[in-house]
Amino acid sequence: MAKNDLQGTLDLLVLKTLSQLGSLHGYGIVLHIQRASDELLSVEEGSLYPALHRMEQNGWIGSEWALTETNRKAKYYKLTAAGRKQLQEAEKNFEHLVKGVRAILRYA
Amino acid sequence: MEPIRILLSRCSALFRRRNLDEDLDAELSSHIEFAVEENMKRGMSAQQARTRALREFGGVTQTKEAYRVQQGLPFLEAVLIDVRYGLRQLRKSPAFAATAILTLALGIGGMTAVFSVVEAVLLRPLPFKDSGQLLSLHEWVREDPHEFNVTAPDVLIFQRESKAFTGEGGYVGAGYDVTGAGAPFHAAAERVTASLFPVLGVDPLLGRTFTQKEDENTAPVTVISYSLWRERFQSDPGVLGKTIDLDRRPYTIIGVMPRNFEFPLDAGRLSRRDLWVPMSFTPVEKNSEGSNYDYGLVARLRPGVSTAQAQIDVNRVIAGIQPRYTAVAGLHLQGYFRTLKEETVHSARPFLNILLGAVSLIMLIACVNIANLLLVRAASRRREFGVRLALGAARRIVLRQLLTESLLLSAIGGTIGAALAVVLVHAAAVHLPDSLPRLGEIAIRWPLFAAASGFAGVTGVLCGVAPALASMRTDVLDSLRDGSHAAGQGRSQYNLQSVLVILETALALLLLVASGLLLRSFAKMLETDPGFQPQHVLTASLSLPRHDYPTQQKVDEFYAELQRRVETLPGVRTVSFSSNIPIVGQNGGRLITPEGHVRSVGEGFLIASTYLVQGNYFQTLHIPLIRGRYLDDRDVQAGAPMVAIISQSFAETYFHGKDPIGLRMKVGDRFDGPMPAITVVGVVGDVKQGALDQPTVAQMYEPISQAAAALGPMAAMLGVAGNMDVVIRTADDPSRLLPSLEKIVHQLDPLLVVSRAHTMDEIVAATESSRRFNTAILTAFAAIALVLSLLGIYGVLAYAVAQRTREIAIRMALGASRKVVLLRTLRYALTVAVMGVVGGLIASIGLTHFLKSLLYGVKPLDSATIAGAVLVLLCCSALAALIPAQRAASIDPMRALRAE
Amino acid sequence: MGESKSDVLQGTLDLMVLKTLESMGSLHGYAIARRIEQVSDNTLIMNQGTIYPALLRLQQRKWIKAGWGISETGRRAKFYSLCRIGRKQIEMETENWERIAATMARFLAPSH
Repeated sequence: MAKNDLQGTLDLLVLKTLSQLGSLHGYGIVLHIQRASDELLSVEEGSLYPALHRMEQNGWIGSEWALTETNRKAKYYKLTAAGRKQLQEAEKNFEHLVKGVRAILRYA
Repeated sequence: MEPIRILLSRCSALFRRRNLDEDLDAELSSHIEFAVEENMKRGMSAQQARTRALREFGGVTQTKEAYRVQQGLPFLEAVLIDVRYGLRQLRKSPAFAATAILTLALGIGGMTAVFSVVEAVLLRPLPFKDSGQLLSLHEWVREDPHEFNVTAPDVLIFQRESKAFTGEGGYVGAGYDVTGAGAPFHAAAERVTASLFPVLGVDPLLGRTFTQKEDENTAPVTVISYSLWRERFQSDPGVLGKTIDLDRRPYTIIGVMPRNFEFPLDAGRLSRRDLWVPMSFTPVEKNSEGSNYDYGLVARLRPGVSTAQAQIDVNRVIAGIQPRYTAVAGLHLQGYFRTLKEETVHSARPFLNILLGAVSLIMLIACVNIANLLLVRAASRRREFGVRLALGAARRIVLRQLLTESLLLSAIGGTIGAALAVVLVHAAAVHLPDSLPRLGEIAIRWPLFAAASGFAGVTGVLCGVAPALASMRTDVLDSLRDGSHAAGQGRSQYNLQSVLVILETALALLLLVASGLLLRSFAKMLETDPGFQPQHVLTASLSLPRHDYPTQQKVDEFYAELQRRVETLPGVRTVSFSSNIPIVGQNGGRLITPEGHVRSVGEGFLIASTYLVQGNYFQTLHIPLIRGRYLDDRDVQAGAPMVAIISQSFAETYFHGKDPIGLRMKVGDRFDGPMPAITVVGVVGDVKQGALDQPTVAQMYEPISQAAAALGPMAAMLGVAGNMDVVIRTADDPSRLLPSLEKIVHQLDPLLVVSRAHTMDEIVAATESSRRFNTAILTAFAAIALVLSLLGIYGVLAYAVAQRTREIAIRMALGASRKVVLLRTLRYALTVAVMGVVGGLIASIGLTHFLKSLLYGVKPLDSATIAGAVLVLLCCSALAALIPAQRAASIDPMRALRAE
Repeated sequence: MGESKSDVLQGTLDLMVLKTLESMGSLHGYAIARRIEQVSDNTLIMNQGTIYPALLRLQQRKWIKAGWGISETGRRAKFYSLCRIGRKQIEMETENWERIAATMARFLAPSH
């Protein structure tokens, strides 16, 4: 699957991850997505951070610096209220997308 | 497979850009039209339909952009855009661009050319099979400093007895008058053993080389060179089996050597051999007792045998040889060898190494200048960068554009440099002095060009981008303010520039000193007294073939008649003949034992260079008489006592300052024996036997009529009784005499060839050519280095003044006079120059001894030269600093301060 | 509020173009876009410019080919049709897509 396929859904994956795990740093987000999808979905870090930046600008996530378990400084992200709403929106959109694509695949 | 297909599609799209764009436009507009149609079908008006269709389509531009990204090679296109932008920027500062490009071109072109020459002459293996295994064997006597080759019998002995080699080949030079192949001419040839060509591992282009039987039976066969085949036989493939006459004996051509074959590899273009004949040792040669070490011996090392083992083997063979030679009794005969390549190139090494060093220095200076140029440019663009960054340009993009600019400079400079290198290498192959070996192999080596370009490119990139990086790290606002406020940044850059200029100046001084030393050496050479007067003298060579002139009497009759007839020509003052002439070098040396001389243990040979003369030789050349008398008619009468004239150095060395007139000596290693005694009747001044800057050798002169008697059996072996140089002093231009001389010679013998005809002036000048070349090149380099470092000083100073305008203006407003400002600026320049001079002096002290082999009559640390170089550099530096200093002094404080 | 429209993803778009051409034979770009919107019941609204880079991509891979022709309204337009390779790709791409969709569904399922 081309890496671009995830562009629209990257936001969705990130938001869902944060909604399930609370507060997490970028690397942790990547790991979770990989694990939870049985390695099928992998995110390139090159596209993750611009996406995080964009979502923060849109007000969907917030960030703050903290120390990791290994005492390293990292930026932690978490959902905002607007982000929670956006998540619902995105999930709905995704369902529509899947429905629409399935329709084409069946009936073209 | 698929990625390749996609890539190919993208590449081909690059070339059809315009068509594809039009295609896309057409498709998109038809799409919109469809939408409009549909909208109108739904009932909208034309206007509404179109508006709606356009809105729903989304951004046409974005679509086109997305399409383009998919279609072409976006990376490449971005690069092209950067390149165009970079070119525009460079066009805006033509002076900077031109200077940088020229400097790069000079550096890259010069380095490539010099490296190519050095590679061809010094580094490349010789053009023989496995040439690293070829050794040149020599014999020498421990007690004697001279270098020998080997004797004729030793060639055979080595062939028979040595075990460390797979083969040995002997060779010795020969010359023949060639007739029967176009106009008669004198050919340079080499007598070689049948084993020589196989040892070298070279096959002939046509036909074959000699067999052992042909060598032993003195068969009249010859192998000719490619150029002889081309010039005289028009590359006729049927040349095999044809005959040519060498010294009037017919020889059959059995082979033609390949185009680039040359052996022996002597220096100079004129030493190419025209043909090779079998060695065919004469009985006299085979029985000679170790007094003629003129034969070359080349051997191929057996695989698996080390040079140490070979040396042991050689020693063993020599140990067997020594007892056979009475001539070397009591002395230690030894054998040694060098690789053939080392022997060929070692004489060129000092000069070429120096050339390499000099051009590297120039390259260094050029790089320093470019670094400075780029530093200045980067600094002056800080404001521009500041503005762009403040307006949101990505640092990455700005850096990328800078990188492109630097690379553009390198690329353009490199291209011009390549053209320059091609021209220079071509010129080198034609104009390099004859004293360098392997001139025919000089060609441009492109890997060296790539290396030089890479080096320059890296320098360009480092110096273009690094300071820009540094200057961009500062606060954006900072760089928007007037430069003089950002003092900290400016100062460190300023110091860096100063250091670079000091470095340049030091290097320039080093080159100036080197060139000064060479100039003085050259001047000293020109002043050197050759020991005779070369003006108004014509010389030419004649060789009488033994076939037609078998006795000394016939030879004498010929030359006597020739002398008589030439003397009648108008404009001729004196005519004489000699077995050899000064300056040209290469005269046979003979062992001499003065009467009563007792050789102490370990004392070396006494060797004197011998001239056989006829006629008023000394008067023709104006060789001064110091004691006694010249040779005259009484010495050539039948039965006259054997006499000789010796040179001043001979008298001093071998007679230890005693008056030698009347004393006797003999040829050979002892006085008691069958050789006839020779009485010294005169002492003359020394003449220079080789080039003017070569040391003087002891010389002696005998009348040619004495030759047979004095030399005994060796006269036949030397075989030079018939080969003489005619030496004529004329009233005016000697070269005008040549046609008349040739006519007279042909009257006497139509088949004789008058060869090597030159005026003595030409000969002297020719030996100067190599030193002249060295000196000219190094002086040119020094001049370039000087100009470059002056440009450096000027550049740094101009920049400093521009940067410090405000500061200077304030000083002036506070009362400093123009003169003070001028002096302060000059003082800075001189400080830099002096520091450079100090550095250069230290470098000179350390490095000039490398020049020693090129110097003549001048010590490496000659104080006059060094003082002169320092003076030149300081004066020029002061001059270079004058313009910026004056500009500083002419700052109008009011205007400068107001233009904040 | 109304139904929200989704932006179509790139790889998914390729697949839908292929499917459309498979059943419709040969179409021009506008028609392909319209058809996809239609069949998906307008849940997939494309920024109509998006289709053109996708069509180009498929051309570069030689999964579809293009030629100029005349439409039913007499207008000149570029028509696209499937190549043999493209036809073969459809099944594989469909499988792929289903797998991803299933994974996403699992991911988005209410948390454990």
